Amino acid sequence: MNWRSIGAIISKDFTLFFRNRFFVVITVLALVMFAVIYFVMPSSVDETLEIGLYAPVVPPAMELIQGAEEGLEIVEVESEEALKKGVTEGAYVAGMVFPPDIMEKLALNQPPEITVYFASDMPDEIREVVSAIIAEMAYLETGQTLNIALHPKLLGRDMAGSQIPQRDRVRSLFAVFVLMTETFGLAGLISEEVERRTAWALLVTPMTVKDLFTAKAVLGTILAFSQALLLLVVVGGMNAQPLIIAIALLLGAVLVTGVAFLMASLGKDFLSVTAWGVPALVVLSIPAVAIMIPGPVSDWIKAIPSYYLTDTIYQVSNFGAGWSDVWRNLLILAGFNAVIISAGIAVLRRKFQ
Amino acid sequence: MTDYSIVAEGLTYWYGDLVAVDHISFHVAEGEILGFLGPNGAGKTTTWRMLTGQLKPKAGRATVLGRDIAEDSQKVQGEIGVCFEYTNLYEQMSASENLRLFARLFGIRGFDDDALLRRVGLEGWGKHRVEEFSKGMKQRLMVARSLVNRPKILFLDEPTAGLDPVSAESIRTVILEERERGASIFLTTHDMMEADKLSDRVAFINQGKIVALDTPHNLKQTYGKRALKAEVAAGGGLEYLEIPLDAADTPDAVHDLFSQKKVITIHSEEATLEDIFIKITGRGLEE
Repeated sequence: MNWRSIGAIISKDFTLFFRNRFFVVITVLALVMFAVIYFVMPSSVDETLEIGLYAPVVPPAMELIQGAEEGLEIVEVESEEALKKGVTEGAYVAGMVFPPDIMEKLALNQPPEITVYFASDMPDEIREVVSAIIAEMAYLETGQTLNIALHPKLLGRDMAGSQIPQRDRVRSLFAVFVLMTETFGLAGLISEEVERRTAWALLVTPMTVKDLFTAKAVLGTILAFSQALLLLVVVGGMNAQPLIIAIALLLGAVLVTGVAFLMASLGKDFLSVTAWGVPALVVLSIPAVAIMIPGPVSDWIKAIPSYYLTDTIYQVSNFGAGWSDVWRNLLILAGFNAVIISAGIAVLRRKFQ
Repeated sequence: MTDYSIVAEGLTYWYGDLVAVDHISFHVAEGEILGFLGPNGAGKTTTWRMLTGQLKPKAGRATVLGRDIAEDSQKVQGEIGVCFEYTNLYEQMSASENLRLFARLFGIRGFDDDALLRRVGLEGWGKHRVEEFSKGMKQRLMVARSLVNRPKILFLDEPTAGLDPVSAESIRTVILEERERGASIFLTTHDMMEADKLSDRVAFINQGKIVALDTPHNLKQTYGKRALKAEVAAGGGLEYLEIPLDAADTPDAVHDLFSQKKVITIHSEEATLEDIFIKITGRGLEE
């Protein structure tokens, strides 16, 4: 490995990157835009209650409650399974299941069995409110204190007391976007090197193809990593476990560098590189979007390498997850990196022959 | 014993079924300019790419500066200079930045980019971005770039193609200076005038094979037509006469020309390298 040549190419590419107005504009714009969006988004959570209800027999008091309680919405569903799904996916903050014999038991002054499902990130206060609503329903129905037994069940991680504002959920998405933005710059530089045939001038010096790829990989990783790091520092994503976040971003930067190699090998010029980059950006963003939606993530999303980056950032910056929680993510991400970088180099090498 | 900078032995390359270079052998001595002439697609550039380490020969071998180019290309590339036919400079960088980049790649300390720019007539243009340059200026900068490491061999691919006379002459001067310095020069071109002016020897390549290799003078002697061509006044117009120089009656014919006709112009008719190439291959260099 000829580090003198590698250093010369990195230095040259930095110069060219910052002399390209388009690259500079999209880089600065992405950083500023994501930071602004983050700070514009509400830092607290909308507490309107949307409660799902599965009740084979609907008590007459239900309509009274709907009208009486501001900010309360009770949505009837067709089955208990549909109710659980809605709660899991965050459609309802809680779900109530009334037994078919509720009216008979209330009439006999026996406690009916009412199951209440809560979303995993439901704070205690909301649980208490839901319990109070159920008590009020009973009061309206019977004119006396409710004599029922409640069985609260949690689905997923217990988020009591640690409700996450939407803007903190999107931090992972912003990180992926910023990382991906740099792939356009790197892929553009590589394709330009081929298109203008400057690569051949480099390769008749003591520099080898391996040196050239190493220089590009280092440059891409530095550009992507430094900007994603800067963004996360600004939006408070580095407050917890900064070392883990930094390592995750570094691995993410290597990942997008591999993607940039693939893009550069597919495109003939900057425009076609951009055209290939957009689908790549969409695919890599899917896990981050999925994480924004409360509830467990579908298994197929875990086949997308960026899942392990976004999940790590999400878990660490929002829940204070540590090494023991995310080491598996980082390892899998490193594995994906090895595969994608190797594939990128293999296909890109053909362009340099 | 002559020291050779380049020795090619049975050098061969093919793309699929097409044999681009077919078992060619030649050598270039130290301080010699070898003009490598042929029409497009004859195998010039493929040969040039093999000798500069960009392609590995499929058969045969080439030794450049005593090293097998296929095995030791990196070391060889540290001691050669390569100037491409097409412009491949970093256009958003200045002329000096382009040169300094390559000086770093060659590991040269204390590199004087101004001196090199001066040599190719680009004094004062060092800080200007290459995108502001004319084609001739870019080509001169390309030549300057190939000289960054004071190469022992200079590989030039069509260095003056499409240039204005001033730029072309400037490049020719540099080529001759480099030969004076002791560098060998492998000049690929299909401009026979340029090859004739610059080359110590020329090789004709056609359909992947070297069909002739000698000094321009010897080639002209061997394949050229020796004749005098005269323009004489005839009945208010002009008449053109050609007198062979090697015929038995040449002295009488020359005597008659001057005693019986009014000669307007007269000159010897030497074959050009292109005439010779056509004679040998049956096709022109521009094909």
